[in-house]
Amino acid sequence: MFSTVLLFREALYGALVIALACSVIGVYVVLRRIVFVGAALAQISSAGIALALWLAGAGIAVGGAANPTVVSLLLTLVAVLFFASGTRGRVPPDATIGITYSVAAAVGILLIAKAASGEAHDIFLSGNILGITRRDTLLLLGVTVPVLGIHAVFYKELLFVSFDRETARTVGYNVRGWDLLLYLTLGVVIASAMQFAGVMLVFNFLVLPAVTGLLLSRSMRGVFLWSILSALVAAFAGFSLSVPFDLPSGPAISAVSGALVMISWGVRRVAAHA
Amino acid sequence: MALVTFDRVTLGYGRRAVLTDISFEIAEGDFLGLVGPNGAGKTTILRALLGSLEPLGGTVTRAPTLRFGYVPQRDQVDYSFPLKVLDVVMMGRYNRIGLGRRPSDDDRRRAREALEHVGIDRLAHRPLADLSGGQKQRTLIARALVGEPNVLVLDEPTTGMDLAATTRILGLVRELHERDGLTVLMVSHALNEVASYVERIALVVDGGFRIGTTDEIMTEPALTQMYGIQVRVDSVDGHRIVVARRRIGESVGTRV
Repeated sequence: MFSTVLLFREALYGALVIALACSVIGVYVVLRRIVFVGAALAQISSAGIALALWLAGAGIAVGGAANPTVVSLLLTLVAVLFFASGTRGRVPPDATIGITYSVAAAVGILLIAKAASGEAHDIFLSGNILGITRRDTLLLLGVTVPVLGIHAVFYKELLFVSFDRETARTVGYNVRGWDLLLYLTLGVVIASAMQFAGVMLVFNFLVLPAVTGLLLSRSMRGVFLWSILSALVAAFAGFSLSVPFDLPSGPAISAVSGALVMISWGVRRVAAHA
Repeated sequence: MALVTFDRVTLGYGRRAVLTDISFEIAEGDFLGLVGPNGAGKTTILRALLGSLEPLGGTVTRAPTLRFGYVPQRDQVDYSFPLKVLDVVMMGRYNRIGLGRRPSDDDRRRAREALEHVGIDRLAHRPLADLSGGQKQRTLIARALVGEPNVLVLDEPTTGMDLAATTRILGLVRELHERDGLTVLMVSHALNEVASYVERIALVVDGGFRIGTTDEIMTEPALTQMYGIQVRVDSVDGHRIVVARRRIGESVGTRV
């Protein structure tokens, strides 16, 4: 069974890199209660891929304008600026997120329906993990390493503005600036992972490993470690099961992630009553 | 020496003024209570003081040596973060540590000392979320102290606490003022609580603002004028208690 998995090792490496990047940023996504901002950004990112494919298919754009990653990244960054600005109006913030999610999903599906490239139809749900090449993995690493570097170097600043923004502002932190940095790293990771992992798996990696971490640890360091570990285990186990059993990789990885959350919840319950 | 000076300041949001023509000073060694009902404008003054709200008119001048130690309302902090007490106190050192750098042994020692100072050093490695209201408040005070401030600002430090915890927290704040000579500004909606501890009171009621010593403010004419209802000021064991009169001959104890 494992030899079959090894045939797709480039795809496995790519899935592990995506798992690593999303599981670190996901801790902030869950703790800051911006889970649905993550979902909306994932949906916008997928709409960007659909837009690029439609533009290319219709012969309207060539080069960078027809590159799914480039268009997806640009659209996601625009959305990041919007969400990070924290603009308050008559529409409640969660409704704004809902509108963005809904419209991005609809526009994406409409564009895909008219795109010439048939292979793109799966990106909205299950992605195309098996299609990841060595070049793609290197590209993903090229995004992940700097993003994780930023998070390691500015850990205390990102933590402070996430935990108690008013006090952080009082002692001189540019809270909006740090918010923007966090959202930018989130947007870049989502946009780079989207065309391989799909909406469902990216959203899964942003939420479930962090929840597993929060269930298993009571320190920030522990939450990050458990989040990363559970994402890598889910990616490896889900992928390894999907290949020999001819299952779609994204949903298989998501299912393992869900199982890990349930196990962690059980462990937490047992520990609480011990 | 004045650490903060409000000179004919108008405060508000957008173009809507909430408070007008406010003038006062916070001098070194002051122990000031900023008191008023919810929605009266205390937070607006606080934000202008801390620099997060620009005045619509007038000037707010801060001494170059000014360093605030800010203690937020307890429910402003997110307890779902899995942080230990020492981690939270360490945040008070972050802006001194510098961008991208890690806390040093000296920072850790100072954080420990701050916890000792507020009497909860034994809780250093406990999760913040597990603490009682009073212990959480002491943690936030320790975090403010570890930044070595010269003005300690506390926003509603006793909200939601029982009588015993309230007395202990206010006693700690007074101790920090008397023992360490710290300048203190305490924001509260509970006049009776604050009046027994502070030396001066700034009263904000319905857009009105009045400041003076506790003796000047805790008088029946002054409070009756500010609150717009008849009040009586009594003394119990040296503590002044304000009660609102419903009608002549009958008075009802109330938190004003």
